[in-house]
Order: sequence, then C-alpha cells, then structure tokens
Amino acid sequence: MKITLTVNGMRRELEIAAGETLLEVLRRAGYKSVKKGCGSGDCGACAVLLDGRAVNSCLCLAAKADGREVVTVEGLAKEQKLHALQEAFLDEGAVQCGYCTPGMLIAAADLLSHTPEPSEEEIRQAISGNLCRCTGYVKEIEAIKVAARRMRAGDDG
Amino acid sequence: MGLGCVEEVLKPTSLDEVLSLLQERGPSAGLLGGGVSLVRYAPSHITSLIDLSTLPLNYVKEEEGRVKIGAATTLREMLDHPLIAGYLNGVVVKMLRQVASPLLRNLATIGGALVSADPWSDVITLFLALGAHVAIYDGTTDTLPLAKIYPIRSRLGGAILTELVLPVPLQNAAAAFCKFNRTGFDIAVLNCACQVQLHEGRCVGATVVVGGTPRLAASLPGAEEVLTGQPLTSETIEQATVAARDAAEVREDRRASAEYRKQLVYVGVRRCLQEIKGQLGGGDR
Repeated sequence: MKITLTVNGMRRELEIAAGETLLEVLRRAGYKSVKKGCGSGDCGACAVLLDGRAVNSCLCLAAKADGREVVTVEGLAKEQKLHALQEAFLDEGAVQCGYCTPGMLIAAADLLSHTPEPSEEEIRQAISGNLCRCTGYVKEIEAIKVAARRMRAGDDG
Repeated sequence: MGLGCVEEVLKPTSLDEVLSLLQERGPSAGLLGGGVSLVRYAPSHITSLIDLSTLPLNYVKEEEGRVKIGAATTLREMLDHPLIAGYLNGVVVKMLRQVASPLLRNLATIGGALVSADPWSDVITLFLALGAHVAIYDGTTDTLPLAKIYPIRSRLGGAILTELVLPVPLQNAAAAFCKFNRTGFDIAVLNCACQVQLHEGRCVGATVVVGGTPRLAASLPGAEEVLTGQPLTSETIEQATVAARDAAEVREDRRASAEYRKQLVYVGVRRCLQEIKGQLGGGDR
C-alpha cells in the first residue's frame, strides 16, 4: 500500500507493507537518525515527532501515520544551523555513545515546544521513556535546561 | 518487528461499516486504536486491521455531569484535558502520569487500554474504583459498567467499545491511586485505587480495588464493608487495610513474591485511604 507522509517538511509518497512500523519505513527511506533499539517501546531510541508529539516509531504502524507530519532529528536543524537542543547537548557534553541521543532530542523537542519553561521534574518525566546506559542523565537534563533558557531568550542555537 | 501477517489496513467511515468489516473478516480482523498492544504482541491470526482513527471517537466532553471520553483519545490527550484534570481533584491525571512513558502515552488510546485489559493495568484499577462505565456499540449503543466488561477482556463478540464514561463525581467523595513498580515506567508490581464518600462524617460508600496481583484487578468487598457506616479515622483505615491484605488473592511471578504483594496491598490501600482522609478531613477525634 501507498502512504503519504510529510517528513521534516517534505512530502513523501512511500510504498509500505500493511503491517510495517514507522521505524522500518523511515529507516528504509533514509532517515537513519531513527534508531532501532528494543523494538518494544521500552528504550525510546526510535522516537520521532508525529504531529508534534514524540512517539515510539517501533510501535507505531506506518499506515497510521498516513497523511500526518513526521519530524526526525534530521529535521531539527534549520538552514545548516543546529537546533538549540543539539547545540546544548554538544556544549554540555550530554552525548557519550550517542545511540540514545536522537530519541532523547526528539523527546526534549516535544517538551520544549509545549512547555518552554519546564521544571527539572518535567524534564525528567519527559525523557523517562528514553534509556541511556552511558551518561546517567545528569548532563542531558542540564542540556535541556540550557536549551530552554536559550530558546526563551531568542538565542535558539 | 511490525505485523508481518497483516495484509490490509481498512479505514472505515462509520461504526456500522466497522461492524460489517468485523463480521466479514471474522477472527482475522483486529481493531486498530493506537496500535501499541497490537504491534508489541503481534498476534499472528490477524491479517486485516480496521483503523478507528478515521471515526469521530477522539473527544473528551461533559454531559449531565458525566465525563465522556472517546475510545480513540490518547492517554496524552486525556492528560492535557481540563475536564480530566478537574475530575475528583485530579486523581485521573495522577494515575495517567504513572502509565508507561510519555512516548507511549502519546500513542496509546483509552479504548485500547480498556480492551487490552492487562491485569497490571493502572487505567482499569482506577476506573473500576470510580465506578466507570463503557459504551459498547453493536448496532445500538449500550452503556455498561466497566466491572462487567473488563473480565471478558477484548472478547466483545464483534461489538466495539466506543466510549469511557466517568460518573458524576459523588458529593463529599474523594479517590486516590497508588502504584508500585520497579522502574519509572515498568508495569505495576501491584496497584490499588480507593474511593470513599462521607455523609455526616461517616462512610456511606467505599470502593477498594487492587490490580497487578498479578490476576485481573478486583474490588475487595471485605475491606469496603469495614469502612461502611464508620468514620474515616486512623483506626478504621487500619482495620480496612488489614481486611484488604487478608482478602487480596495474590500470587508470585517474576516481579514479586506473593508475600511481598500481600505487604504491598497493605501499604498501598493504607496510602490511598490516608490520602482520601487528608482530602475529606477524616474523623479522628
């Protein structure tokens, strides 16, 4: 079957199998920032924004995304300029092996687009579905705070 | 990964069309809400999916004091809705924040959560305690107590669960929910929910529900009877809590031993009743 997605602002017509997940379809279409981790909704490495909300693309059937808007990490940067979250993750050293980073950025992007001034508790809650085995989360939380501050100040990276 | 056996995803435009498709396809048809349980458990007999997102089942509204939630409403949409936030002092929001992760709550629908009816479901435990109903469509709509539908789980016999109905909040009542889990978004090792209504300082109605035992969530009439007619004091809470612990049928699984679960029933029910006492003012002399 054929579906139409808007991925990172670009309309894409994609041929899919009826039971395929959004994760499988996006990776096949070249969006390799979308990582396959657990495949069961536990780790969050596959997170993408679907109509502005972060979801596990491994548990979302591609057919359900037909006609909807998807944003992957490839779509966060605009005109060769990294998103404030990406800049802050770099500045704060919030990346080690990097496998969880795209999902973490997407979950944080969902948070900051709906809650520009999040509390630490809200940040922790927002990334609670994203597992990281390297960093211990401290630097990610700090990076999200920094990005939120910069975005509120209009200096969004 | 994915549902390799699925050959078609159908997008009906009416509930009657859904019924016809269910009848035509028989057991090989599955209803697609958020798809979380379907993809995760990938039942191999399902070859046709009927997508419910094309139907007008995504809403939260109030009618005659009842809060009605369409089956295709996501848990996140419920969390964000002022009618849910305002219901019984925010007890539903407090529960929803403890269901899985934000990423999953953005996908999972309330209809899916209700028909999956997992024994560890936080949603089922609280809504049983609140006396919620569900609307079932099989050509006509019947509104039935969740307690009646839940034990048969998803075997609705070709009918469709279209709506969750939260009752008009009882006067001078409060409810509380408590969950024990091993990690932030693991399923419950045990959960419980209570609702108490006071009249002239005495309990005129009480529900005590325990889930994740790991059997299906169930009310504990023995504990409820202890409270009925009594003031809500530290003493009666202790009596009800002991009755709940004694009555709860628990067993072990890989998450916890039966003994541990018994103790969790005691702690969880006590916490819920103490929270309710705090909200209602209680009756300690």
